[in-house]
Amino acid sequence: MTQHEDAVRAQAVRMARDAMSRRRFLGRAGALFGGALVAPSVLAACGSSGGSKAGSGGGAKSVHISNWTSYISTQSKKDFTRETGIALTYTEDINDNNEYFAKVRPNLSRKRSIGSDAFVLTDWMANRMINQVKWTQPFVAAKFPNKSNLRAALQHPGFDPDRKSSAPWASGIAGIAYNVKTTGKEIKTIDDFLAVGGTKTVLSEMRDTVGLFMLADGKNIKKPTLADAEPSFARIKQALADGKIKGVNGNEYVNDLGSGNLAAAFAWSGDVAQIAKSNPDIKFAVPESGGTLWSDNFMIPYTTEKADLATEFVNFFYDPKNAAILTAEIQYISPVNGVAEELTKLGGAAAKLVDNPLVVPTDAFLATLSIFGVLDEKAEAAFDKRFAEVTGTG
Amino acid sequence: MIERDDQGRKRATIAPWLLQGPGIVFLIVFFFFPLYTLGRMALSARASRFSDPVFSWHWDNFSSAFSKYGDQFTRSFLYAAAATLLALVIAYPLAYVIAFRGGRFKNVLLGLVVVPFFTNFLIRTLAWKTILGDQGTVVSVLRGVGILGSSGTLLRTPLAVIGGLTYNFLPFMVLPVYVALEKIDPRLVDAARDLYSDTWRAFRKVVFPLSLPGVFAGSLLVFIPAAGDFVNAYYLGNTNNSMIGNVVQNQFLVQVDYPVAAALSFVFMAIVMVIVIAYARVLGTEDLV
Repeated sequence: MTQHEDAVRAQAVRMARDAMSRRRFLGRAGALFGGALVAPSVLAACGSSGGSKAGSGGGAKSVHISNWTSYISTQSKKDFTRETGIALTYTEDINDNNEYFAKVRPNLSRKRSIGSDAFVLTDWMANRMINQVKWTQPFVAAKFPNKSNLRAALQHPGFDPDRKSSAPWASGIAGIAYNVKTTGKEIKTIDDFLAVGGTKTVLSEMRDTVGLFMLADGKNIKKPTLADAEPSFARIKQALADGKIKGVNGNEYVNDLGSGNLAAAFAWSGDVAQIAKSNPDIKFAVPESGGTLWSDNFMIPYTTEKADLATEFVNFFYDPKNAAILTAEIQYISPVNGVAEELTKLGGAAAKLVDNPLVVPTDAFLATLSIFGVLDEKAEAAFDKRFAEVTGTG
Repeated sequence: MIERDDQGRKRATIAPWLLQGPGIVFLIVFFFFPLYTLGRMALSARASRFSDPVFSWHWDNFSSAFSKYGDQFTRSFLYAAAATLLALVIAYPLAYVIAFRGGRFKNVLLGLVVVPFFTNFLIRTLAWKTILGDQGTVVSVLRGVGILGSSGTLLRTPLAVIGGLTYNFLPFMVLPVYVALEKIDPRLVDAARDLYSDTWRAFRKVVFPLSLPGVFAGSLLVFIPAAGDFVNAYYLGNTNNSMIGNVVQNQFLVQVDYPVAAALSFVFMAIVMVIVIAYARVLGTEDLV
C-alpha cells in the first residue's frame, strides 16, 4: 500500500469517527435566515421578465459544485483534482431543498448562470428540476463510464427512468430514532411511537413524515394520492392537537435526542448512525410497516457549459474505491455497487461500517423501504398545502 | 436673484435639499422601491405553481391573507405585546439602576446588557432550547417546587416563545429607556422632594413621565420585530404557536406562492402601522419627544 493510500485511509477513518450530519440543524436554521434575506431580492426579481442564457464562466478545466454540508471531505476533493486535473470549486451552499430552489430560481428561470455547474438535491426536488421546471441537462454519457456501477434499486426512479440527468450522491432512510433510556422500551411501530411517553417530534420533510404514517395506514406511497394520504394527515393533526407529537422540525432532533430532551423522533438514518456512536442509548428503528428511502441526486443545470466536467466529477465518485472513502466520511448509503468490499479493504472504523445496515444495507433490509412516489405539480401543491395546514403554517 | 426672509436674511434654497438628498435616496432605494415591488407582487397571479407571477390586480391574495391566517396574525400580535410588556417590566428597573445608581460603573453595566447580544440571534435562541429543555435545570427546579407537573414541559409552549422574544429583543428596550432616564435632571427629583413628595410620588409624577419617550421608542423597537419574528416560534414553540412570520416563510419557501407571501407581509405592515399610530396617539408623543 502506498503512502498516499495510507493517508487516504487515515483520513477516511478519521472522518468516519468524526463525521457530522449534512443536515446539521444550524445549517437548516441558517437556511431560515437565508430564506428571509433572499426573499426581497427574489420577490423583486420575480417582478421582471426577460434574460439570456449564460454559462457558469471560469477558466477551462475547472468545475464548480454546490452540495450540502459535510457531504465530502477535503481529501476527496484533492483526490479528484489530482486524478482528473480539473480544478474544483466546491461550495456547501445547500441547506434545504426549498431554500436552494428559491435561491436559484430567479436566475435559472431566466436561463442565467447560477455560478455552479452542478448541484445535489433530494428526489422530489430532482423531479421538480427535471420534469416540472426543466432546468437540468443530461450527463455527457462518454464521460460517465462508472454509471454502470449504480445499484440496480436506484437505476429507474419515476422522475428520471434512465438516469439521464440525475445520479444519486447518497441515500438515507427515514424511520424512528429514540432514546431507549427515556422511553424505557423499544419502539417498533408508529403506534408504539405515539403511545410512548415523553416529548416526540416528526420531520418537517413532508414526504418522510406523511410517508411513514401512510405506510402504517397500509397505503401505497409509491403512487401517493391526496385521498390515500388524508387519513394520515388527519392522524398527524390529531396527534399534534393531543400533544402526542410535540413539534415538527428538521434535524434539530440530533442534539435533543442525545440530551434526553426528546424521547423519540422521526429521523434520518445517517444522523442517527453518527450520534449513536457516542450515545449507545440512541436507537434507530424502521417501523414494521416500513420506512422511506430517499436519495440526494447530482444534477447539472441547463445554464452551464461545463456539463462534461461536471459529469467527470460525479463519475469520479462512482468509482467504488472513491465511493467507499466518501461513504466512510459521510456515513450515508452509497448508490455505488462494490462499496462494501472497498470499505473492508480500507480496514479500521471504515471496515466496521459494513456491518451497519444504516450505512451498508442488506437487500432484505432495503426491501422494507419504499420511495415516496413522484407527485405532479398540482398534487405536490395540494400535499404541501395540506401539510402546512396540519403543521400550523397553512 | 437671492431669496430673503422677513428679516431680510438670505434664504438657502439648495442646501436643505442637498442635506436631505442622501436620506431621500436611501428611502427611495431601500424603502419605497421594495415596498412598490412588494405591492406589485401582492397583486399578482400565477398561471402555474412555478411560473412567474404576473401583475393583474389580483386582490384575492389579500382576502385569503385575511381569511385564512387570522389565528396566526392574532397570535403574533398577542405574543409581541406580551413580550413588549415583559421587556418593559425587566428593562425599566434595570435602566433606572444604571442611570441613577450606576455611578462610575454605568458603562460597564451597559456593556453587560449588550455583550450577550454580540452572539448571533439564532445561537441565542437555540441556547434557550437547552435552557428550557426537559432535562434542563429550569424544568427540574419548577417540577421540584410543584409549579410544573412531573411531566410538565416549558419547551414548545407559548411561554417559551414569549420568553424567547422577550430575551432576544430586551436590549432594544433597555437602551432607549436608559437614554431617556439618563437625560432627566436629578435636580427635578430633588425639587419634588423639597415639595414634600415621597420617592414613589416623585417617580410617578416626575421620572416616569419624563422617561416616556424612551418607553415609547423601546416599545416600538421590541414590538415590531417581535411580531414579525419566526425564529422563536419555530425553535421554541410547537405547531399551535405558529406566528405570521412562519406562514410567510412557508408560503415563500415551501409553497412557492410569492403573491400570497407578499400580501401577508403587506397586511402585516398595515396592521403594525395602525397599531403604531394608535399607540402614538394614546401616548401623545408629539408632546413628549
